[in-house]
Amino acid sequence: MVMRNRAAWLPWALPAIVLVTVFFVAPFLLNVRFAFSSWTSFRAEITWNGLENVRTLIDQDLLANAVTVTVLYAILCMAIQNTVSLSLALALQRTSGINTVFRSAFFLPTLVSPLAAGYIWRGLLAPDGAVNSFLGIEWAWLGEPSTALVTVAFIDAWKWSGLITLVYIAGLNGIPESLLESATVDGAGPWTRFRRVVFPLLAPALTFNVAVTLVGALSAYDVIAATTGGGPGDHTRALNVVMRQQWGQGFFGSASALGFTVTLLVIATAVPLVWWLRRREVTA
Amino acid sequence: MRAVLKYTALTLFAIPWVLVPIWLVVVNSFKPAGEAAELGLGLPRTWAIAENYGIVLDRGGYLTGLVNSLKVTVPIVMAVVLLGAAAAWAFGRSRSRWLQAAYFVMGLSILLPPSIIPTVYLLRALSLDGGSLGYVLTMTGCRLGVVIFLATGFVRAFPRDLEDAAAIDGASRPQVFVRVLLPLLRPVLFVGGVILIINVWNDFFFALFLLQGSANATLPLSLFQFASGTLQSLNWNLVFAHVLLTTLPLVAVYVVAQKRVLAGLTEGALKG
Repeated sequence: MVMRNRAAWLPWALPAIVLVTVFFVAPFLLNVRFAFSSWTSFRAEITWNGLENVRTLIDQDLLANAVTVTVLYAILCMAIQNTVSLSLALALQRTSGINTVFRSAFFLPTLVSPLAAGYIWRGLLAPDGAVNSFLGIEWAWLGEPSTALVTVAFIDAWKWSGLITLVYIAGLNGIPESLLESATVDGAGPWTRFRRVVFPLLAPALTFNVAVTLVGALSAYDVIAATTGGGPGDHTRALNVVMRQQWGQGFFGSASALGFTVTLLVIATAVPLVWWLRRREVTA
Repeated sequence: MRAVLKYTALTLFAIPWVLVPIWLVVVNSFKPAGEAAELGLGLPRTWAIAENYGIVLDRGGYLTGLVNSLKVTVPIVMAVVLLGAAAAWAFGRSRSRWLQAAYFVMGLSILLPPSIIPTVYLLRALSLDGGSLGYVLTMTGCRLGVVIFLATGFVRAFPRDLEDAAAIDGASRPQVFVRVLLPLLRPVLFVGGVILIINVWNDFFFALFLLQGSANATLPLSLFQFASGTLQSLNWNLVFAHVLLTTLPLVAVYVVAQKRVLAGLTEGALKG
């Protein structure tokens, strides 16, 4: 009754609105302009040039490869991360002493920076490193075109899986025990219970995790910078890697166009995904 | 029997997933360069702890990096948590259409990737480029969305009776915020804050574009510069010593807060 007049709320939200507007929304809108502008370190002026940046990137064979690599990378990350995390969550769902110890241990990689994760696994997966000597092979996981991308995606998944596991546990614990019991009474085995009861009711957590992991991986940079730098050849040269290279060479307009491509990919992925997954959600 | 099988499988998985990576970093950071280059998991034949860590502290710019990381992480986390909570209160309680539109934009800022290159341009125009202030403001602007989104859901789930009662008792609005709202939001702000600390402490991408010169370099930047100095063959002992020192502060925070972090996350504080 006391705090219901409208204007009085504005000051509470204003600092946040200003910061988000100036440092997120404004750069976002500027990017739409810069992506279609000639802007380099060689000329101070920024002028509209339509699709010239995109054309240059295509002519240099940079764009199509970067888009393919980025999309593949995002799908691999999402698949590895969610498979590992959902399995761990199912195993560690109940809160007990020993499960807490395991949850805590599996959370540790989340504390490591993606950059450091890249260095750690670059060491473990070196041709003469620990993984190969355990497997009895000699293979340059990060140096061979056939395995480089999936290896980098694995490292990214390793870094984030602990956090995603906890979100899945939260989702699993939100499923009413009674539903599982009545399914058991009706003769449903563990697999049927998972497929018919747990999986549909897990939809909110699944939506969240799939969207978050896909969208996050589309902006991949750190792990790649620490491991392959985009190589071998251009096999792990994701959009942000090319963006950084263009930026470093002074092609700011082209770099903006690449950043804008990431944005478009995120929109193209997130909107239908959230819509589709939401439709499958069942309310308990 | 099934439990034994399950925990055996989990342990077998945890060894390569968690233990071996940690062991590799620790043990190789104790070896001299030549031995660390073998990237083995055995104990050092020659110990070089003091030399390695001495070099990282001295040449690796670790101490400057530590100070710089603290200098940006603390203000970013404080600003995001406090300004985010204040905004969430307004978004959760006000019915103004303008504020609801603003709330929608906050939601978009979670999903869409930040536009880093125009940010550099903007900071240059504001004469804030290269330094930590521009970085702090940018990170705050880009991270507020998540905390606002989570906290607004929380505010909406609470009846406003408590706030009204406090107001009737004569509490001013800032008093209501500090005494009623912040305690109510504590679980979600705590979890959001911890995730934020991890994110900001480990941020490399923004720092790479926004922070210029080694005087401003945060720990991830200094690790990268240190490692890239010898890109052909990494000095693994030094890189791993740097990795360990960079991660330790977060591990320390985690050890203190882990019970509440794990409980908060598994009870669904992050559920969208």
